[in-house]
Amino acid sequence: MLRVVNRVLLGLAGLLLLLLGGAVPAAGLGLPVPSWWPWRGPEAVLLGEARRQRWEGQGWWWPLVIASLAAVALLALWWLLAQFRRPRLGEVLVDSGDGEGALLRGRAVEAVLVGETEDLDGVARAQVVLYGRRSAPAARVRLLLEPFASPGRTLHRFSAEPLAHARDSAGLVSLPAEVRLRARKHRARRVT
Amino acid sequence: MSEPVKESAPGGEPAGPPGAEPDGSASDAADRPPPGTAEEEGAAGRFWSRRRVPAGLLALVVAAGAGLLLFDIASVRAGRPAMRWRRSLADELASRPLDDVWVSAGAAAAVLVGAWLVVLAVTPGLRNLLPMRRRADATGVRAGLDRDAAELVLRDRAVAVSGVQSVRVRVRRSRVAVRAESHFRELEEVRSDLHTALGDGIRELGLARRPALSVRVRRPARKG
Repeated sequence: MLRVVNRVLLGLAGLLLLLLGGAVPAAGLGLPVPSWWPWRGPEAVLLGEARRQRWEGQGWWWPLVIASLAAVALLALWWLLAQFRRPRLGEVLVDSGDGEGALLRGRAVEAVLVGETEDLDGVARAQVVLYGRRSAPAARVRLLLEPFASPGRTLHRFSAEPLAHARDSAGLVSLPAEVRLRARKHRARRVT
Repeated sequence: MSEPVKESAPGGEPAGPPGAEPDGSASDAADRPPPGTAEEEGAAGRFWSRRRVPAGLLALVVAAGAGLLLFDIASVRAGRPAMRWRRSLADELASRPLDDVWVSAGAAAAVLVGAWLVVLAVTPGLRNLLPMRRRADATGVRAGLDRDAAELVLRDRAVAVSGVQSVRVRVRRSRVAVRAESHFRELEEVRSDLHTALGDGIRELGLARRPALSVRVRRPARKG
């Protein structure tokens, strides 16, 4: 969600800047610009006094400016704060199948996953964060591989064991996971 | 909190995707690719960055600019004089013609920044993260391998080849470049051994798109 918002807004801002930055020299170079172009001829100025004060006499102008600036500032502030928020699932819904349900603390699931993953061969450290909806959680996982571990096999073991166990014990149909693997730096061990 | 059961009736059939049916568990031992593997392998796309940093910077700039302008306009409305920067900015905007150096420079900067923002918006980013192959028995798992990790794995493989004295491995998104120095054995033999060892190593990485491999071997430079 945040990814889409960020990318759309970045793209819009980029297009706006491109248009502005392109329209000014197009007029400044004296190119034949259409009649609705905001500037014409190299002698034009960016924002003349007449244009700046065009609406100032109207009663609605300053309230409108103030309101829209306030809206822009607030939205930008919200957007800024959204970058620092990491959505994290507080609880997972365990459905027993007989109409009753139980809530499992998200942190508990994460801790179990981390513990079991770090016991795997080839994993030095693991971090797990659950996100999504409580009836359909998903996991964001970071694995730090031990020296000389095989990434492919470690990933396979992780999805076959800790992840599958967590999924089954929480009674979930599926537990999607996004896994990033990094390696601990180590020196080469040569055979001589 | 509220009534716990509302959706998701797990007593019945899970209406999951058609690749995740439980009889895939029998194929645990078998390496035979089950039907639908090609589709699964093709589905392992790039990771798309959230672009938190550029979005945060842009948000900060917009919020600060709008806030400052708002503050100044409000204080002018309240009968105080405008800040000096706003008066001089209005003067400059009203006096400099379009072919002025500063106006042109500003336009060029706007074009550059705008193009950069558009590039950021439409490219996936995260070039350091190599997408890993999805397995048919774990369709929900999307994994990416750090490039440094891939380099370390391949380096360990290469160093184990006899005759290799030192090696530099660079992993890019579609190709692996290996430069080794060999102090004994025929260079051609070392090269072909490296090729086999690194081919195995690349397979072990479990990447979605197997990178091409190029190996160069030479003698270490004579010490002066």
